[in-house]
Amino acid sequence: MYFPALLYPCILGMLSLVHGIPIHPDNLKNLVKLQADTIVLRIKDHNDKLKLYPTLLIGDPELYPEIPADKTIQGLGSIMDTLTTFQKVLQRLPKGHVSQIHSDLSTLLGYLKERMTSMHCTSKEPANGRSLDAFLEDNATHHITVGYLALDRLKQFMQKLIVNLDQLKRC
Amino acid sequence: MRCDWRAWTSLNFYKEYIFGFETLVFATLGILSIHEQLVTLQREGKLEIASYDPFKLRSTKSLFGNMLYDGLLMLQSYTVVSSLSLAALSPSDGRGGVYEDLKWKALLCCELPFAQSLDDGLSEHPPVGQCQLLNATKPEFSRNCLDILCWLVGERTNLICNAKSHRAAATASLLTVRPQLVVQMNVLSDEANHAAQCTGEDTAMCSISLHGNDATVSLNISISLNGSTALSPKMQVSTHHLRRPESPVNLHYDVTTEGEVIFRWSDAQPNSDAINYEIRYASNSTLQQWEGMKVKGRSWVSLNELSSGIRYMVQVRCQSHINYWSEWTQPFYFTLDVSYIPAEIFTTQGSEVTVYAVFHNHSWSASKAVWMLNGQVKIPESQYRVINKQVSAVTVTVDEPGFDTLMCCHQWGERFKCIIAYAKIYTEGMFNADITCQSKNSEVDTMSCEWNKSAWAQVRLLYRQYTSMCETISEMEGSEEAEENMECPSGAGDHRECTFKNLSLFSCYKIWLEVEGGHGKVRSFPVYVAPIDYVKPSPPSVLEATTLPNKTLSVSWRRPHLPVYDMQYELHFVALRGMANTQWKVIGPLLEPQAEIQLEESCVQFKVEVRCRRLNGSGYWSDWSMSYTSVVYNRKAPEMGPDFWRAIQEDPVRSVTNVTLIIKQPVLAGDPYSCVEGLVIEHQASGRAVWSNETTLAQFYSFPWRKEAHTVTVISRNALGISTRNRNMTLLHQPKRRCVRSFSAVANSSCVYLSWSLLSDHSVPQSFVIEWLDLKKDPEQDVSLTERLQWVRVQSASRDLFLCRRFYGSEEFTLYPVFVDGEGEPVRCTATRGDPAAYILLLIIAFLSVVLFVTLLMSQNQMRKLMWKDVPNPNNCSWAKGMDFRQIDTIENLFPHSEGLTACPLLLVSESICEVEIIEKTHPVTLEHEKDNEVPIYKSGDKTTTDSALLADSSEPLSLEASTTAATPETSGQSSVTYSTVLLSHQPSLLRKQQESLSSSSDEGNFSANNSDISGSFPGGLWDLENHVCSDSANPRHSSSYNSVEEFSETSDQDYEASESTGVAKDLYYLEVNEEEEEEDEEEIEETQSEQEKNEMVMKVDARPLLEGKNSTAVASNVSHSIPLYLPQFSD
Repeated sequence: MYFPALLYPCILGMLSLVHGIPIHPDNLKNLVKLQADTIVLRIKDHNDKLKLYPTLLIGDPELYPEIPADKTIQGLGSIMDTLTTFQKVLQRLPKGHVSQIHSDLSTLLGYLKERMTSMHCTSKEPANGRSLDAFLEDNATHHITVGYLALDRLKQFMQKLIVNLDQLKRC
Repeated sequence: MRCDWRAWTSLNFYKEYIFGFETLVFATLGILSIHEQLVTLQREGKLEIASYDPFKLRSTKSLFGNMLYDGLLMLQSYTVVSSLSLAALSPSDGRGGVYEDLKWKALLCCELPFAQSLDDGLSEHPPVGQCQLLNATKPEFSRNCLDILCWLVGERTNLICNAKSHRAAATASLLTVRPQLVVQMNVLSDEANHAAQCTGEDTAMCSISLHGNDATVSLNISISLNGSTALSPKMQVSTHHLRRPESPVNLHYDVTTEGEVIFRWSDAQPNSDAINYEIRYASNSTLQQWEGMKVKGRSWVSLNELSSGIRYMVQVRCQSHINYWSEWTQPFYFTLDVSYIPAEIFTTQGSEVTVYAVFHNHSWSASKAVWMLNGQVKIPESQYRVINKQVSAVTVTVDEPGFDTLMCCHQWGERFKCIIAYAKIYTEGMFNADITCQSKNSEVDTMSCEWNKSAWAQVRLLYRQYTSMCETISEMEGSEEAEENMECPSGAGDHRECTFKNLSLFSCYKIWLEVEGGHGKVRSFPVYVAPIDYVKPSPPSVLEATTLPNKTLSVSWRRPHLPVYDMQYELHFVALRGMANTQWKVIGPLLEPQAEIQLEESCVQFKVEVRCRRLNGSGYWSDWSMSYTSVVYNRKAPEMGPDFWRAIQEDPVRSVTNVTLIIKQPVLAGDPYSCVEGLVIEHQASGRAVWSNETTLAQFYSFPWRKEAHTVTVISRNALGISTRNRNMTLLHQPKRRCVRSFSAVANSSCVYLSWSLLSDHSVPQSFVIEWLDLKKDPEQDVSLTERLQWVRVQSASRDLFLCRRFYGSEEFTLYPVFVDGEGEPVRCTATRGDPAAYILLLIIAFLSVVLFVTLLMSQNQMRKLMWKDVPNPNNCSWAKGMDFRQIDTIENLFPHSEGLTACPLLLVSESICEVEIIEKTHPVTLEHEKDNEVPIYKSGDKTTTDSALLADSSEPLSLEASTTAATPETSGQSSVTYSTVLLSHQPSLLRKQQESLSSSSDEGNFSANNSDISGSFPGGLWDLENHVCSDSANPRHSSSYNSVEEFSETSDQDYEASESTGVAKDLYYLEVNEEEEEEDEEEIEETQSEQEKNEMVMKVDARPLLEGKNSTAVASNVSHSIPLYLPQFSD
């Protein structure tokens, strides 16, 4: 006869937790992979439209450090840091098809942000904010190549993220 | 002495430090002397700040701070000294005062008749004193003096002037009681015409508003003491000198075509009095480590020590002529990598453009520069120029208007390394943007325009709306320039699409693109778009379709309300079932929103869709409307349900028995007014209630069966009801009763005849069902059993059935008697039938055999007739005179000597073997069969003849065959060998063969002597049995009648083959008629000789005399002269 009295608080407690249940890690990995694949394909389409000369190489990896290149992935924090930088760059580019990639990136950041919250990870501000702003300002007139460079590096990062999805389990 | 920026900073510090401290300390001349020394050094340009230790000053300040109260004298001394020293640092241009440290300062001393006033207090007119702005170097301690300070507060919004008497300080310090000094100050701004007045005891402070502008302010002070007053002379303060100069603006850098980096800036005010500038820079990573330099008299500086790829921050400031330094400008960030000169070019079509690229990266060499046009095309190296090690130039000619980019990259192996900067070329003129417009999503008020332009260009889509028709717009082009252009609401970007909303359908829109640069823009050719022509209307709606009994599909719909123009329609439909062709069928154009379509059959439902477009003029078809499935019109419910059968399948995995009903498609159930739209399957299991399921018109319906008595009824239905006459089926699991006695199937080529009989003592079934598997459908291709199962229902009275369809002949037929309460025991039989092709083949073979037999028979008769008719009687020959061929020794008499082979000399003696007379007279001794024209038939098996007379006559063992050979073309010109073969008659099989060969040769009958196809013929003319017979009948020349060339050319081979095939040793005798025989033939002869040890005789006869004899012309004409021929000759 005591069961109902115990059961109801348990049910209520469970219900209250349901709202805050984060995305299951496996589901998150699937979502991140799908979104990253989508971004990679969109970038490929976008950059292919420039029809650049096959042997043309815009921006060495050692050049323009303001835009992350070949960043190592060390947990959610580093992923968020890098993606936020890319998002800033896309925000400053002229509207167009890049806006769709920007929207996809925002969605991806939303997943990761939610994951970080559920894991109680501390987020930090990107370190190179000021220099990035100055870089974008200086090269505002060359948005085509800036966009190409940024999207190409974002694509590489997405490809690296796809094969390092286990890093989503770490802060 | 060089003074860097650190020294200047220190100096300022000292100045400020000293200034803040001056009102409190510096009462000693020691400090004054130090300060003066400093000023002197600075004036002479020899100031060494590094040796000017601020800590010493600070300790000095502490030391002398205690002397603050030593008296007014000391304070006055300081004031004067301080003013002097600071004036030396800042030029004094204020009337009566000096500008220093953003303040105007003056010392006003007045002489007041102080004593007199005290003595003459009853005087009516107060005594008037005199004031004088003193040089600070000459302080007068006997008079009343005021320190006057003016400075700005805020952003040049207010000027504050403060006048403070020395008495106040003295009173405060010495605590002596003195009469109050009243100070009254009037301040007047000349430009702003503002004035302010303030009064105070010993001190007065006034503030005047300047509204942010520079102004010249007049200052008047009067002081009163014990009734006596003194007025100051007019003082003027210029606020311009009370502030720092403004920082330079527009700091930027240029790169020259030689690769020099020059920073430039501008003064904030055109009439700035800046005389000196200072610039400093630092890399982003090493902030606070500034590098800098001072610039005199010019606003630019060249910085050539910068590295590439590093982000620098640079600032500049200026110094006014009164030595005030401005603030540093805002940081200017830059990174040097590749600079283009110019970075933007506006040119005209066909003009040459030269662009320079400076590699700031010293590891890049201009000799390895690669120029790219729009990042896509490599410009030929012939258009490059190397200016110096770091500068490359390219000259291009742009042929088309529009926008292009140039990138200068550095070759690195096979790749071209580029940076993100590029030069932009704007070519004036209109370019073709290929703008196309179309409405989307069937929204009539929305239109999307797309264009095709280089992705490098950041374009703007502009448009202008006209209220007139597009055709007349060009005439109005010049008149509406004042109208404002509108821009695509989605803005500029790399989008190649713009969506217009809230369109005016009947307006005209002029649409074009613009590519805008820093110094101008280029635009595309405009397109004129009337949305009415490009807007895709909404699809029709409210679609209704009915399949009528008269095989008509009636369709109606409603057109979209907008646009309001006349419309045409297109309809397409597809049958949902019942028709083999499931392709959409298109009907149109239709002018009315309805259609009547004739069908091939009724009761069929169709999926129908409609679309519309503008009737007159251009435009786009709308999207297809929503699909609508036609309704089948019915007047009454179906009368009867469909016939069906079942397939029972065991599912061993789930241990379930599935029953699949195979239903015949009852499209029409009775009359055209009662179409079947669906089925109702009614179940009744034993002991349970009845339940039913509704289905569409399906061919199969499955349900699990629990192997209990289960009755299924299939009912047709339509919208008006269900059928009343239905067929049902009872499934039973118990042993079934047997009622069929026999069941047989007989198949012919295309039909199967099935017959059966029933046991007499059983009730007659309700019907019969015959089922079989369709062998055409391959079970391996996922065709289920139910689809392969074929069945037919037969009335109960029938006992046989003709099934005419394609059968393979191996089908197994099963006969099910169907009773009211279930099925009887099925009976199976397999209809086997031969392959019709085999029958046909057999018939053909039989027919050919008959034909062959008849042919042989006829040829035999013909041969006999010919032979017996043509072969001469050897008894008529001259050499046979007196010979009795009946005697056994006749032959020996004929060939008395073996070496001559007997006959040869005889032949040679006669010298003409052709001199044979054929006497048609019947010889009394002639064999009876000759007379009767009978053909003797020999059987090789028992070596007997059918003709006893012939058998008796053929007791003579020898048959002589004379042959001749014709030289083959290969052997032409060579001597040939001709043979005569002597056959022994005691080998009947061989003889028969020879006869057959001879006969066939005769039948084929090319007896022409001039036939040249005699090459390779075996030289074996034969005398066969007929010759033998002929010889028996004493007519040895008879053999000559066969010696045609063709004859031997054929028979020889056949004979040879026959001799081998029989496997019997041949007794051949060759007559060699030519000594010049080929070796092969000799060998052949020798072999033959070796085989024929006893009976072989070779007669060597020179045939040439024969061939050269008469009657040889026919052959000689066709064969080479050297070819010996032997022609048959007949002589009477």
